Amino acid sequence: MAPPKSSAATTKTATPAPAEAPKAAVNALESLWKAYYETTSSRLKLIDAFLVFLMVSGIIQFVYCVLVTNFPFNAFLAGFGSCVGQFVLTASLRSQVNPDNRNEFKDISPERAFADFALGSIVLHFFVYNFLG
Amino acid sequence: MGLATLCLFSLAAVGQVLAGQLTVQSPRLSVIGKDASIVRSEPISLAAVNKAAPVHLDSTETLKLAFTVVAKDKDPNVESKNVQPHQTFVRFYEKLSGEEGVVPVRVTQNGKAKFELNLARPPAALPPTPLVQNKTNPLSVSLLLGSYSHSPFKLELFDLYLPPSQPAPEHPDEKTFHPQPEIQHTFRPAEKLPNRVISGVGALLVAGGPWILLLGLLSHITISLPYATSISILPFTLSLAAFEGLLVWYWADLKLGEVLAYGAILGLITAVTGKTALSKRGAWRVQGAQRK
Repeated sequence: MAPPKSSAATTKTATPAPAEAPKAAVNALESLWKAYYETTSSRLKLIDAFLVFLMVSGIIQFVYCVLVTNFPFNAFLAGFGSCVGQFVLTASLRSQVNPDNRNEFKDISPERAFADFALGSIVLHFFVYNFLG
Repeated sequence: MGLATLCLFSLAAVGQVLAGQLTVQSPRLSVIGKDASIVRSEPISLAAVNKAAPVHLDSTETLKLAFTVVAKDKDPNVESKNVQPHQTFVRFYEKLSGEEGVVPVRVTQNGKAKFELNLARPPAALPPTPLVQNKTNPLSVSLLLGSYSHSPFKLELFDLYLPPSQPAPEHPDEKTFHPQPEIQHTFRPAEKLPNRVISGVGALLVAGGPWILLLGLLSHITISLPYATSISILPFTLSLAAFEGLLVWYWADLKLGEVLAYGAILGLITAVTGKTALSKRGAWRVQGAQRK
């Protein structure tokens, strides 16, 4: 589901000794983060921040439902569904707007993608408000 | 329609009264013993005050009734004629239990009728006479005559004591026609809301937590919105915000029909503003790419 993030390949280190395995993993994560941060445009990072926001929001709601109560159930479904639905719409917007994916989406301009995103969001919000009660 | 048929039937009934009144002539009651000896034989009076004495029947004895059916005219000078009525029944009725049985009697064309009750071969319609407190209850015997063209006739004959019999069999569904035991149902207990503090903390976490995270992330990103307040873009942004406002209003107050109506109007506006905004944006994007 994650779109191709960058063209810069993350270099993998050679098989390390067992004691250095965690450190190598941390190094890999660091270089991944650095590559992402430097090669992604700020507009895409904005969308990514929104995606992280939605994911965390959904996770917190789910944990609350599991730990505390799922009553009223329709409210939980509305809230969780809005997070998931909006995440899906935003992720598809991101993949369609990303200039690196131009070959995949030849006949969908970024503006058209945004219009689809806006329409889908409004319809999603309408159904979520119906279910919220 | 119902009123018309009612009128028709009442007219027909009036027509019947005019035809004559059924009655019996020389009714006779006999009880014959087991060796053809006559135990009792007497005429039956048509007057109610002279009702015959109760008849006690043994299992070896036979009850016989004989009578002639005539139709009396309204005019007393006209002689009554022997008729064969459409319905002739002897009715056995036990007052206390409500059991009754009706046995048809064959009447000849000349109106002569004979009825025989032989307990060796009792009719199936005979009501049961079980022992109730060591005695059997009497059956009141009556004669019923009915006809389409004459007025009907009913005569109470006598009380009949029969030997004790088995009680009436209980219907297999009898138990279901009495009050049944009350149904006890335990409903699921009402769902409880959790402690206010916990739900308050949860609400803060859900509503506030991710926003803090988002603002923190956004602070690391340099966002430039050069065209946000441009005249081509701003109406589109405002109409999208208006849509969200409409949905919140719908959640609080509106009905479905209203929100769909307003949404349709707002949708048209948004479509127009969106077209201008996004086409302008596309043009700027292409210009920017060309300049590069």
